[in-house]
Amino acid sequence: TDNQKKYFQRMPDRKDLTMFKEEISRRFKAKQDQLVLIFAGKILKDGDSLSQHGIKDGLTVHLVIKTAHKAGDGGSTSASSSTSTQAGSTSTSSPPTNPSSTTGSTGSAPPPTQTPNILTGFGDLAGLAGLGMGSANFMELQQQMQRQLMSNPEMLSQIMENPLVQNMMSNPDLMRQMIMANPQMQQLMERNPEISHMLNNPELMRQTMELARNPAMMQEMMRNQDRALSNLESIPGGYNALRRMYTDIQEPMFSAAREQFGSNPFSALGGTSESGAQPSRTENREPLPNPWGPPNSSNPSESGAASTGSTSTTGGTNPSVSNPLGINPGSLGNGMFNSPGMQSLLQQISENPQLMQNMLSAPYMRSMMQSLAQNPELASQVLMNNPLFAGNPQLQEQFRAQLPIFLQQMQNPEALSVMTNPRAMQALMQIQQGLQTLQTEAPGLMPSLMTGGIPGIPTGGGLPAENPASSPSTAGANPAQQQLMQQMLQMFAGGGGGGSTQTPEVRFQSQLDQLNAMGFINREANLQALIATGGDINAAIERLLGSQPS
Amino acid sequence: CYTCVVSLHSLRMSIKFPRSFRLLEELEEGQKGGGDGTVSWGLADDDDMTLTHWNGMIIGPAKTVYDGRIYSLKIDCGTRYPEHPPHVRFVNKINLTGVNSSNGVVDIKSVTALSRWKNSYNIRMVLQELRQHMMMKENNRLSQPPEGQVYSN
Repeated sequence: TDNQKKYFQRMPDRKDLTMFKEEISRRFKAKQDQLVLIFAGKILKDGDSLSQHGIKDGLTVHLVIKTAHKAGDGGSTSASSSTSTQAGSTSTSSPPTNPSSTTGSTGSAPPPTQTPNILTGFGDLAGLAGLGMGSANFMELQQQMQRQLMSNPEMLSQIMENPLVQNMMSNPDLMRQMIMANPQMQQLMERNPEISHMLNNPELMRQTMELARNPAMMQEMMRNQDRALSNLESIPGGYNALRRMYTDIQEPMFSAAREQFGSNPFSALGGTSESGAQPSRTENREPLPNPWGPPNSSNPSESGAASTGSTSTTGGTNPSVSNPLGINPGSLGNGMFNSPGMQSLLQQISENPQLMQNMLSAPYMRSMMQSLAQNPELASQVLMNNPLFAGNPQLQEQFRAQLPIFLQQMQNPEALSVMTNPRAMQALMQIQQGLQTLQTEAPGLMPSLMTGGIPGIPTGGGLPAENPASSPSTAGANPAQQQLMQQMLQMFAGGGGGGSTQTPEVRFQSQLDQLNAMGFINREANLQALIATGGDINAAIERLLGSQPS
Repeated sequence: CYTCVVSLHSLRMSIKFPRSFRLLEELEEGQKGGGDGTVSWGLADDDDMTLTHWNGMIIGPAKTVYDGRIYSLKIDCGTRYPEHPPHVRFVNKINLTGVNSSNGVVDIKSVTALSRWKNSYNIRMVLQELRQHMMMKENNRLSQPPEGQVYSN
């Protein structure tokens, strides 16, 4: 068999292959023309750069040394060895003290913090699954998810390896936007300029993301941060302020998180922070990416900024601004969703509407929805990243068109109250399930349902899931799914008030006015009639006349 | 929020969606150099959200006519992967049974180890089995086209 060896090669901090090849040629005593470098199925050509191929820390580049004699006897003709690059190049780690520096030198110094926050975000997701629905507090749930994730690093790496995640992360503008869109975040940033600095530093964010991909690094980094944190404790002012800020929000989470993360606080603001920006012991006050709502991801720790100081605490987990990237769980796509953690999480959620209610009533939800509504661009961006949309451009279009309406509805307190009504939610779920069963049982039926796109139900890839053998989201299924979604949305909109007339009232405002002008002064009755007739004034009038004797 | 509910449901449904999950795992493995160094694979295009188009590479085994050569392959994982095998074709010209000599397309059934495709098989296996295939008696002495030629499709 071929000669197999594994080498760990420190990468010089150059972007192109030339130096790399020089080093290799020296090391293996072969000429550069004999060297063929392969990464992920591609040959690296001279003039390519490592970062261009996405070669990062911990990944493997294959080396083939060609000899002049082909197919000679013996295996020595081509030695195949794997070189693990500890790349210190720009796209990867850099020493925590100088996060913005692009000259990485070695990979051993873990990049600045950000990552732990991201991780904790995912951790929450996983932890929730393992949760025994014990805590009604959504934030606690997040913490628990986090714990589970921490014990299951594979899941994290899976998530991080998701090209969708990477794609999103590679767009620092989007990240920043998402974060900025959150008013609490903005407050936080005012109070702590380092945060904004950090956000504006794409390098930093990228480093954090890189780190998030590597759980092993995470541990090391956390330890480093620990050390840094202890140094920071002496810094007056800023540190305390931040701590206070964080601890407020994290009150409920503290006890939950303490046991796990007691000794391993995440330093919040990433490398830059060194100076007093470290929330240090504070736990992750970032609500952490909400796996269910893309908008949530831009919702990091809002609550923090608004709260007033109270007791400090310990065992921080993630620093608040810890998750400036606000990783959008929505964009994690199937990779994450398929984990057993998510599955049980979902089951639990659907079985316990109370949980949903708690989650929804979390104050930051409201503000998040508001900020989202104010910035439809952001919302659409975020939602577009949802992989379930990815394969369905039609859906995307529809969604985009409906987005403003959708957001408006979200603002409707009635709508929100429905969301928090566990029975309503359950009913909604039942309906949706029923529709899906119907779809699989009688696919021909679906097209006869309403047409027109509906935003909101990104089940594009998922509905045919009843039949695992078949590929999900084939083109044929999509229209049916869209119709399903539309139905859902209509039902939702119609039932949005659960009997309340607020939405219809708005909708029928002009009709109401007309009825009023005609002399129908009983607004209630008018509204009822309009609802019953779906806004048809004439029919409503007939109803009104019919119901009123003489 | 509605999005949450809806996403939840979609999540639930997507639980039974193994393709992306699998391909993501394979992506990671490919980058970390799985497969003992004689094969390599990765996404052809980093922006390919559907994870369909892959590059593969096989290093010709020693003691065969393929020794010293590096074969590039294109692998497409369709929507029904991994229930269905991927489509594989060689980029570099090769004389190998089961490989169409005019376009490099691999008839996966002709590779014994892959002829009964299971959904537990993956890209790495495809590449490794093709490499094993090269070592078989019927193949390892076939005369090969000059190095560097590629199929024109």
